[in-house]
Amino acid sequence: MTSSPDAPTVLSAHGLFSGYERDLPIVRGVDLAVRQGEFLLLLGPNGAGKSTLVKTIAGLVPVHSGTIDLQGADLTSTHAHERLRRGLAFVPQTENVFTTLSIHENLLVAAQILPRAERSRRIGALYQMFPDLERLKALRAGQLSGGQRQMLAVARALIVEPAVLILDEPSAGLAPKVVSEVFARLREINATGVTTVLVEQNVKAALAIADRAIVLVEGQVRLEGVARELAQGPELGALFLGAQGRRREARA
Amino acid sequence: MTPQVLVDGVIAGSMIGLGAIGITLTYSILRFANFAHGEFISWGAYFALAIAAALGSLAGGNVPSLGPFSFGWTLPVALVLAVGLTAGLALVVDALLFGPLRQRGSAVIILVMASFGASLALRNMIEFVFTSSPRYFSTDLQIAQPLGGGMRATPDQLLTVGVAIVLVVGLHLLLTRTAIGRSMRAVSENRQLASLAGIDARKVIRTVWMLGAGLACVAGVMSGLVVQVRPEMGLDLLLPLFAAAILGGIGSVPGAMLAGLIVGLAESSAVALFGAEWRSAVAFVILVAILLLRPSGLFGRHE
Repeated sequence: MTSSPDAPTVLSAHGLFSGYERDLPIVRGVDLAVRQGEFLLLLGPNGAGKSTLVKTIAGLVPVHSGTIDLQGADLTSTHAHERLRRGLAFVPQTENVFTTLSIHENLLVAAQILPRAERSRRIGALYQMFPDLERLKALRAGQLSGGQRQMLAVARALIVEPAVLILDEPSAGLAPKVVSEVFARLREINATGVTTVLVEQNVKAALAIADRAIVLVEGQVRLEGVARELAQGPELGALFLGAQGRRREARA
Repeated sequence: MTPQVLVDGVIAGSMIGLGAIGITLTYSILRFANFAHGEFISWGAYFALAIAAALGSLAGGNVPSLGPFSFGWTLPVALVLAVGLTAGLALVVDALLFGPLRQRGSAVIILVMASFGASLALRNMIEFVFTSSPRYFSTDLQIAQPLGGGMRATPDQLLTVGVAIVLVVGLHLLLTRTAIGRSMRAVSENRQLASLAGIDARKVIRTVWMLGAGLACVAGVMSGLVVQVRPEMGLDLLLPLFAAAILGGIGSVPGAMLAGLIVGLAESSAVALFGAEWRSAVAFVILVAILLLRPSGLFGRHE
């Protein structure tokens, strides 16, 4: 789903500073606006603060200053579990399924915040979207392959029909063929109207499926633009190489 | 050894198992060994004792026994109320002590030391309120009935085993078949992911305290019924409880119950073989052996 430039902003951050320690912000003054239905890609070299930014938005990293809004409501001081109820779903990079619970129990856990009558309907819809999961539903999630785990993690996040789905490097540790399948599935999910924010190191493949991309360097937004144009332009490479050069200088 | 060892072991093991379930639940969710758990056992017994005595007075002081048992209707009613009070006590201790420490991100050793302090305070409060003299739910004499094969048990003893079985089955179903049970298992495995799945970990923690303390209360009342009620009854059970919780595997309810029975049987065997003074040593030997040979226990997951 290609989002219109006139589409309303569904998720935004203003002057966001965050990090695990108060005097050591990792995200440093980020302004961000994600439009309804958009597929936004967050790029940046290692250590740029991409994961910290999305974890902050998900409520896992303390905000030092600034605000986070979802559909016009201030989320800044809400707990992570409340953010899902408000429509913000986050899939972490690792440890993103309950390995000791079965596939079905993983979905039931996430469905608990829905009204009782809704739960089986949503789980049924997700099994239609991910038939492999239904086939294996009694299996413990710890027994799944990397790609299957990512699909379960995405299904778990989708169960509440979130307004925004944020994924932190879903391709990490997966074989290239599986990465293509995961990306194709994410594109399909976005096409159903789910606003998607993707953090990714796999730049080329991710730019091919995103509408727009933002490049973070040292916790700040350095570049922003249409994904297709960024893929063809020279700025992206210069930013990545520049950051690597600065790190080398710092080490020297 | 006589077959009676088996009966004695199962009776002691059912009480140990119930107490160990509370320890294993709090450990798996809160990630620290709560040494104050024994005091929930003692407080549970004393709450029930006080309520049963008050109900007995209100009823005119002469409450007839229920069927073959040594107690009247006041004890079951007192047990239900005492479970609620013990759960409330656990929530108060958490709100005043462990909760603030968790919020500060205190290290595990701080929480463990705090539980030692809470244990001392709670035990001394029992002595202050109820004195240190042993008390009894009933002073009626019960004759042990033959069970066959040279084994005997009193109706009260058989009741304690029955109650333990019902509670363990009920708790197992709660953990595996209900929403709150799945939430508890999810928080136990990964609290951060659980919050991302919409689970309020604070609610789960409150539930775990209430369940653990409630079961401790039942274990205390059962122990008081078949032995006696003393301020140190929880402290004396602490080592077997931890041995059973670790042997069963942290987080495993069936494991804790099975391990409770194993510890109970090992204790009764040691008494028969070597003498009563070796009872406590058995739990210690089991604890050390399991930590050295299989730290994840019988049914625990590898961390």
